[in-house]
Amino acid sequence: MKIFTIAESINIMSKTIGPAIREKNKGPIQKMAEEELAAGADMLDLNLGPARKAGDEMMRWLVETVQEVKKDVRLALDTTNTAAVEAGLQVCNERALINSISAQPQSMQERLPLVKKYDADFVALTMSEEGIPRDSSERAVALTTIMAMGDELGIDHARYWVDPIVLPVSVDINQVKAYMEFLPMVKDILPGATNTCGLSNVSNGAPNELRPILNRVYLMMLYHLGQESAIVDSYDVEMMAICRGERMDQVEYVGKLLNGEDVQPTNDTEKMLYKTFKVLNGDVLYSHSWLED
Amino acid sequence: MAFEFPKDKYNGKIVEVTIGAGDKARTVGGETAMPLCNFEGEFPNRPLVAMEVYDRAEVCETWAPACKAPFADVMGDAVAWAKKCVEEFGAEAICLQLASTDPNGMNTSADEAAELTKKVAEAIPVPLIVWGCENDEKDAETLSKVAEVCAGMNLVIGPAKEGNYKKIGGAAIGYDHVVVQQTPIDVNMAKQLNILLNNLGVPMTKILMDPQMGALGYGIEYCYTVMERDRLTGLKQGDEKMQSPLILDVGKYTWKTKEASVSVDEEPAWGEAEVRGVLWETVSAVDVLAAGADILILRHPDSVRILKKIIDELMA
Repeated sequence: MKIFTIAESINIMSKTIGPAIREKNKGPIQKMAEEELAAGADMLDLNLGPARKAGDEMMRWLVETVQEVKKDVRLALDTTNTAAVEAGLQVCNERALINSISAQPQSMQERLPLVKKYDADFVALTMSEEGIPRDSSERAVALTTIMAMGDELGIDHARYWVDPIVLPVSVDINQVKAYMEFLPMVKDILPGATNTCGLSNVSNGAPNELRPILNRVYLMMLYHLGQESAIVDSYDVEMMAICRGERMDQVEYVGKLLNGEDVQPTNDTEKMLYKTFKVLNGDVLYSHSWLED
Repeated sequence: MAFEFPKDKYNGKIVEVTIGAGDKARTVGGETAMPLCNFEGEFPNRPLVAMEVYDRAEVCETWAPACKAPFADVMGDAVAWAKKCVEEFGAEAICLQLASTDPNGMNTSADEAAELTKKVAEAIPVPLIVWGCENDEKDAETLSKVAEVCAGMNLVIGPAKEGNYKKIGGAAIGYDHVVVQQTPIDVNMAKQLNILLNNLGVPMTKILMDPQMGALGYGIEYCYTVMERDRLTGLKQGDEKMQSPLILDVGKYTWKTKEASVSVDEEPAWGEAEVRGVLWETVSAVDVLAAGADILILRHPDSVRILKKIIDELMA
């Protein structure tokens, strides 16, 4: 097992990183990049948010700053400012990942040409003009919309990292299930593409100290359904170990549950996996006390 | 081959909760199938139609004339109002609204509210539901006092929310009452609050769930689906934390809408105000009845009469 990990922590919303980016203070950013890489991250996400003011300059500086830590680091350029994305693409040493392009016309029209021009990878976010998809069919519609324009531009399907959009279990279990239903379809709709996801959104709204458990178990479930990559918290040591394939006993146990085998837990770890699996699979209604229930 | 009607299978049962003590006791819940699917399971207890009674006339000042008229002779005297609802209008339970305790309003004291509650409870032959002013802190104080003064009467007290369930739940355990727990139209939060109340020591046989609602035209479809999910979780998934009977204050949510209360002079095209308001309340009530309500609290006597007739027919 190997899940390609994109580390999520270099984010302008962060209390340490935000000011460092704005003040062009390399120290905290390079330190975090080193830590993420040391933790085993395969790619680093550089999240500038909307970056309305001087976003291009900011992204260029940020890419160069992080590349000073590791020349051939792989980077995801994560901002809604397209000029900033392009500025980043111009200075990336390795093939960059544009995060993201949705099926909204403006997003496709502005950004798909950049994929072609810079031979970049991109996150194909299955969101359309109507917003968040309600089920697996709407996810498929959004993906084929992106694909139609991508094909016109002659974009290789290998450039696509399809993101079926992870949504919180505490909000709507049907969305958690719709993701799992859609994920295996991706390779049929778009052979040759890979996938990724903003994993930690599954635990949004859950008590902070329990969020990693939901994130980890969901990833184990998604792995069995074909998940190849995820944007994760690289400071979650257990998560990184799972992604490296070092928790195969747990991953296999979850796989059996996903197969419909009701394998009763025999120890505390399995008990935690079992209960968490049950809420994420929609067998038991989620509540903040799901582990004690 | 004879046609066989397809039937759903269920793995759970709604908990039977008894409210009121002695001769006044009534039981709700006990269903083993989705609402009104009598052909699929047991429905041992009829849904209960309760009527609202307010503690002070002042808190009803803004009411629609259609709602004031039937109670004109008793407003301001909660005991007489409650008796009238039972004797003349056929209320199967009374919901005493302690609206005047609101610290942002008249701020009447917990002691006063508790004394009034006891008088009303003693005067009526049906169970009493006691509703706070929906201020977490004040309700904790008022309902604790009510619980103490009315010890052993097995009243329904609430709403207990995330912010005050410990005090209200504790008082219910200490003085033997039933708790209404309330969450904002959310299945996950509803389950969580039941878990918390259970952990506190309140058994499922002492909990009613208020999933909250919007009236017709105010998101009732969404409320319907949330109640439906509450029920599916309890009955199909057999989730023991989601098997509480449901209670809804339809009157309060309905009559605050413009459609139910505005006068015909203001909206001539909408037709006569009283008929319109009653229909608005009745249709809203039938909606939540179909979604699984076990106790419906109404305001207007005509709505009560129509709803009871509908229940008679549906339960026959």
